[in-house]
Amino acid sequence: MTLALAAGGSEIIERLHYLHPEMALFAATCVVMVLGLSKSLAARKSAAIVTGLGLIAAAWLSLRSPGAETEALKEAILPGVMPYAKTLIAVMGLLALPMLTGVVDRAYERDVARGRAFDPLRATRGEFYAFFLFSLTGVMLCVTADDLIWIFLALELTSLPTYIMVAMSSGRLRAQEAAVKYFFLGAFSAAIFLYGFALIYGVMGTTSLPEIRNALAQSDELNPMLLLGFILAIVGVSFKIAAVPMHFYTPDVYQGAATSVAGYLAFAPKAAGILVLIMLVSVLGWTHGATGITLPAEIRVTLWVMAALTMTVGNVLALLQDNVKRMLAYSSVAHSGYMLVGLIAGPGREGDAATSGLAAALFYLLSYSVMTLGAFAAIASLEKRTIKGEMVEVELLSDLNSVCRTYPAVGWSLVVCALSLLGMPPLFGFFGKLALFTSAWEANEKILVVVLAINSAVAAFYYLRIAAAALFEERDEFEDRLALGPAPWRRLTAVAGAAGVVGLALFVSPLLRGSGDATQLGSQQTFIAGVDAENRPAQGIVNPSIAATIRADAEREQP
Amino acid sequence: MLELLSNIPELATLASHATHGHGAEGAAAGAAEAAHAVGAAIAGSGNKLFLLIPLLPLLSMALCGLYWAFGVKSKLPAWTTVGLLGASFGLTILAYFEIAAPGVTQIVHGFRWIGIDLSPHQEGGLELIANFGLYLDSLTILWMLFVTGLATLIALYASEYMAHDVGPGYCRFFFAFSLFVFAMSALVMGDNLLMLYLGWEGVGLCSYLLIGYFFTKPSAVAAAKKAFIMNRIGDLGLAIGIMMTFVQFGTIEYAGIFEQVDAIRASGGELPFAVKAIPLLLMVGAFGKSAQLPLYTWLPDAMEGPTPVSALIHAATMVTAGVYLIARTYPLYTLNPTALVIVAWVGGLTALLAATIGMAQYDIKRIMAYSTVSQLGYMFLGLGVLSSAGAAFHVFTHAFFKATLFLCCGAVMHGFAGQLDLRKLSGVWGMKGWRIVSVAMLIGCLNLAGFPLTAGYFSKDMILAEAFVTPGFAVLGWIALITAGLTAYYTFRVWFRVFMGPGEFEPGDEHHGDAEDEMTAEDGHDNHAGHGGHGGSSFHPHPPKWAINTVLAILAVGSLAVVGVYFIDTEHHGWVGGLVHDSTAHYESPFVHHGAAAHEIAGAHGAEASGAELAPGTFLGFDPHEALFFASGIIGAIGILIAAFLHGPTGFGGLFIGARTEAATSRADGLKRTFAPVGKWAERKWYVDELYDFLFRIPLWVLAHICYLFDRFIIDGIVDGLAKTPRGVGSGLRPSQNGLLQSYAVGMAGGLAFILLVIWVVL
Repeated sequence: MTLALAAGGSEIIERLHYLHPEMALFAATCVVMVLGLSKSLAARKSAAIVTGLGLIAAAWLSLRSPGAETEALKEAILPGVMPYAKTLIAVMGLLALPMLTGVVDRAYERDVARGRAFDPLRATRGEFYAFFLFSLTGVMLCVTADDLIWIFLALELTSLPTYIMVAMSSGRLRAQEAAVKYFFLGAFSAAIFLYGFALIYGVMGTTSLPEIRNALAQSDELNPMLLLGFILAIVGVSFKIAAVPMHFYTPDVYQGAATSVAGYLAFAPKAAGILVLIMLVSVLGWTHGATGITLPAEIRVTLWVMAALTMTVGNVLALLQDNVKRMLAYSSVAHSGYMLVGLIAGPGREGDAATSGLAAALFYLLSYSVMTLGAFAAIASLEKRTIKGEMVEVELLSDLNSVCRTYPAVGWSLVVCALSLLGMPPLFGFFGKLALFTSAWEANEKILVVVLAINSAVAAFYYLRIAAAALFEERDEFEDRLALGPAPWRRLTAVAGAAGVVGLALFVSPLLRGSGDATQLGSQQTFIAGVDAENRPAQGIVNPSIAATIRADAEREQP
Repeated sequence: MLELLSNIPELATLASHATHGHGAEGAAAGAAEAAHAVGAAIAGSGNKLFLLIPLLPLLSMALCGLYWAFGVKSKLPAWTTVGLLGASFGLTILAYFEIAAPGVTQIVHGFRWIGIDLSPHQEGGLELIANFGLYLDSLTILWMLFVTGLATLIALYASEYMAHDVGPGYCRFFFAFSLFVFAMSALVMGDNLLMLYLGWEGVGLCSYLLIGYFFTKPSAVAAAKKAFIMNRIGDLGLAIGIMMTFVQFGTIEYAGIFEQVDAIRASGGELPFAVKAIPLLLMVGAFGKSAQLPLYTWLPDAMEGPTPVSALIHAATMVTAGVYLIARTYPLYTLNPTALVIVAWVGGLTALLAATIGMAQYDIKRIMAYSTVSQLGYMFLGLGVLSSAGAAFHVFTHAFFKATLFLCCGAVMHGFAGQLDLRKLSGVWGMKGWRIVSVAMLIGCLNLAGFPLTAGYFSKDMILAEAFVTPGFAVLGWIALITAGLTAYYTFRVWFRVFMGPGEFEPGDEHHGDAEDEMTAEDGHDNHAGHGGHGGSSFHPHPPKWAINTVLAILAVGSLAVVGVYFIDTEHHGWVGGLVHDSTAHYESPFVHHGAAAHEIAGAHGAEASGAELAPGTFLGFDPHEALFFASGIIGAIGILIAAFLHGPTGFGGLFIGARTEAATSRADGLKRTFAPVGKWAERKWYVDELYDFLFRIPLWVLAHICYLFDRFIIDGIVDGLAKTPRGVGSGLRPSQNGLLQSYAVGMAGGLAFILLVIWVVL
């Protein structure tokens, strides 16, 4: 919208094809909404299939999205991000889809099968898949956005459907409570980052990110109000990734929602949040601070404190949990902290994905999504029969005892995903963490590396508890009987997630290179404040030694 | 070459000396002259077929591993091993005709194994290169001939010997056996010191695995650990030596090292100590692997392994790796004469010490083990007195006769349920089905004792003569001569006790192969005499069958036949001497003389080299090369006669002068009482184990316990405390998650305020 307003008339048409994946998802959404209301059971059941087809189409279109080579995108904040990030979102959506089957309308469909008349107003299946697609559309729009208002709308498009998904995911009061909490706190955080956006607009006079970036590049000093705006924006948006101090909702909401929806919450809002955060800090650039190669000091401290606290709080609280859903919720908090480390590290050396913290963060998002979806899906595949004969969700750690023996496919998927979350070589999660370590080390954030390492060690404790329960613990006779849930497709996500963390480990270097290309900063980003035009280094150079040389030259010339 | 040299500061000056003195061409010509073999080598030009020599055993290992995984319960692993090792032997013979016979050197390039550029930003900087490549010259081929040849034969022997263990154990045995042959090939054939180190550690590992083959037996496990740890001490020396070589020479490839050594020798001049230390360090490794003082104590204990292993690894091949190492790096040794003096003295003293211990032992395998240590001492002595040809010849003959001896002991052990005590065995010669074993044993004993005209006699004489010829080593010559007498005595002590005399036995406690017992039950009855009482009533010795007999026959004939090679190529003291002469292990001793004319030249040479008037030594005024043929023959015969007198049986028409009429008693017992204290010390192996225990184990044990207590209470205390921290922190944070919407909102707002506060405080 704003993008279209800013552009000339012919550019509107040209820029429309940035939105092809989103349009495919939207089209699928419309069809799904209608299908869900159909009287025919087959048509209702096809809603999930259409959702899948829409995602496949979106994935295909995402692969063909315009990348860094497009002339019109040269000015963008992250010119190459669209193909990689949108494909990631669509593929992860496809991975999550089987996990989300069977969440809604199970009791109602049973009644209909028994002969009760079908009432479209009572059916929620179509809505559920439609909200799922809406929120994925929102995540994709976060990638396309190049304007503060767009970012706000995209983030809200991501979040609003998830509030409802939480509410409708279970008939229990707990889910309603979780949804309300999630909604209010989400609105609160939106208020915070919207206030931040307003301050940024107030100082810069524009909401366009490239323009803000270009204007910042020309000025030597950053306006304190502008910095406050960015701090508020970053802290507010970090609600989406559940980073401290915006993490409070996480365990309650994840526990209240059905496991499948909790798994989805661990992926979609996080993807949106981390992508937006990458974009926001990229606007400021890593050309500030005492050395000229970091973020502005205030922003760096903000992110630093948040990263360190998020990792630590997430992990130590996960240690104490006996409820697997809460444990994984805290684990997702901790993983957000890991990704923030990449943001602090910055883009690294030109053309070297191994030193780029942004590439590492995006790559970590990929690995984290695969393994966390796999872990949640494994738990969502199981049910237990209580003493009363009710079938309820598996929640406690002890429910998982010896699951590797009773249901090997589910059990082993869970074990593999837990080990990958822990960062065990040679699984995919290890390489994600490795990339973060190397980039942070290269960026001279050694203390943060130590914090990251200690946290990885602490995290090992509870992930190994999950693995040990599934593998070694004996099951007492009087414990609740474990059973496979009524939605067999969920096991597909579990197994595919486990296969992913094993298999993708073979393609680490192309994937890392891809995320490196996706997070290459736009052309204006390289300007170093205080250096005249002749001495301006080539694009993207943040090599410490070169930057130091330039600075030394500048100092020599000053007197 | 000079480019390489100029990278190394210490040697750069020497290299420039060379350039000034002779000009670059002069130095190169000097190099070519001094090591003609290297001159012929063109890197990577060799026949790639020879890469199969080490790779076939590796394939055999992989197959045995698969059999192991799939639970094969047949003799398939044995036949696989025998077949592939035989093929490897065939290729070695091919290599002999292509390389050793014409006396050329080939370097076969396999693949780049390690290549680390240590100065990446500098053109032509220091680079650590280790290829998986082969350095093939006549010395390599000599070693590979007996390594692959004996390995094939002993694998065949083991196919029967290990038959009681068919199943996983059988697969495991041949797995380690094949791995050993691969590692030994890598050690011998590698074209750089790192390949040698790979093989060195590989054979050490296999030695460990095979000594501890009966891993349920505590003594076997202890022996395996002892062997491994003793070898580690030596390996440390070797490892540092290799690192020093790289630091000093900038390469670890033989060809590069030898080139530089020749240049240094051509230029003369004082060498830095670091270069002189290299042979000293390599030597430590050699002493460990070849069981020399002070690291010899593991080898006798290593006899806990199955006998084929003792024969192959701990007698014929692996233990000669130390000799090979010194022979291979002989050019380095010629830079530091002190190192060779140490090698000679260690060798001579080890020979004497091990022989005295061997005289007082009762376990026949152990006696053979001490004799191995003693003979290895001879080889080191040979190397030390610049007779690398003599050392190599002794390695070659020793490989044959010692393998024969061990396999005979193994056959006895196999047949008498693990009985190895010579006091409990007697008169095996007379038992039915044991004739081949007895004859083979006799041939082996004659060789070991240095009986005139046997191969062992000639090879030992070469070393002895050289010890007397080289000035300053006459004392060692006498020590070695006395040791020869002792060797003859203890060798024939075994022979007369076990194989001669009345047929008596007391079976050991390892009962296996019951089916075989039944088969041989009728034959066994005749052999039961008085002593075979307890446990013998149900036990009958089972003589070896075709596989063992065939191998023993081949080896016995081989042991006799290798004497022939002494008379081929007499110019270089036999065929082996010729092979060594064509290799880099050859160093023209100033005191070696082929006839009278050479004598004078060599004498003059020696005077020139050392800058003093040194004449070749003599043996009581005679030329040692001739006199010692008689002297050592007489000494050997005396030793045998004493053994016959003390342990020999009566009978054979008064042919034997002994008086032993039953298994245990003999004239020796009377003598033993006379020499009680000395005998006791020798029997207890001079208390060397106890000494090491006191010097090293007890202090280490105390240190370990101090460390343990430190770890337990200080470190663990801290770690446990740290481990409790996250939980503590978590418990502290937990109340913040109280589930109330309003407190969460306060938390979020407070968190934001906290961050702003931090920014305000920090900046």
